[in-house]
Amino acid sequence: MRLEEALRALYDEEVEFVVIGGAAMQFQGSAHLTEDLDFCYARSPKNIQRLAKALQPFHPHLRNAPEDLPFRFDALTIERGLNFTLATDLGALDFLGEVAGLGGYDEVKAASEKMCLFGIDHQVLSLEGLIKAKRAAGREKDLDAVKELEGLLDIRRRTGL
Amino acid sequence: MTPEQRKLAYELITNPPPGSKLAEAKEYGIDLTLLYENLKLTPTERARKFVEGARSLREIRLAAQRHRAKR
Repeated sequence: MRLEEALRALYDEEVEFVVIGGAAMQFQGSAHLTEDLDFCYARSPKNIQRLAKALQPFHPHLRNAPEDLPFRFDALTIERGLNFTLATDLGALDFLGEVAGLGGYDEVKAASEKMCLFGIDHQVLSLEGLIKAKRAAGREKDLDAVKELEGLLDIRRRTGL
Repeated sequence: MTPEQRKLAYELITNPPPGSKLAEAKEYGIDLTLLYENLKLTPTERARKFVEGARSLREIRLAAQRHRAKR
């Protein structure tokens, strides 16, 4: 996983995104491990073009799809789809247009906070936002995560972290 | 994290207030010491830890795939 490069690539093209999922959990202090990096992205035509341009040098293709399946991660493809699970030269990157329990990019951004990662401020889903999203996802592993996230939130509130 | 916050966080994870979400998490089986260790890190340090964890998970997954293929 080339995290710093992935964040830098999106930042350099001014892509509007929020880090969500397991990565956001870890950035917030969770001990949860994950192999992929999840983002919620804005669905505006301008942002879709920026996203396609940002990832183009890193050969994005659909993860776990047949090798011969034709796929181009361009603006048209992004416009016609919503959620993409990609394998790229930077690692496994997932781009979601909507997050269960929260909504689209605007709602997800409203539930996020700025976090300085590798010297640049990025939007990362807050503990409260993660709890809502995990509750809505409702799988057993998500409900396990809620317990940990609520514990983290409790520590942060009591310590002012 | 200031020294005062660190001290308070340590007290909280060793003796979670009864009825709190922290106590619930501990009872559920969450290892609060791991949370404490992570909270001591800066976000960038946590991000680096994420990368190491992702690499380890990938290696484990690939090793399991190789093992299955041999059987």
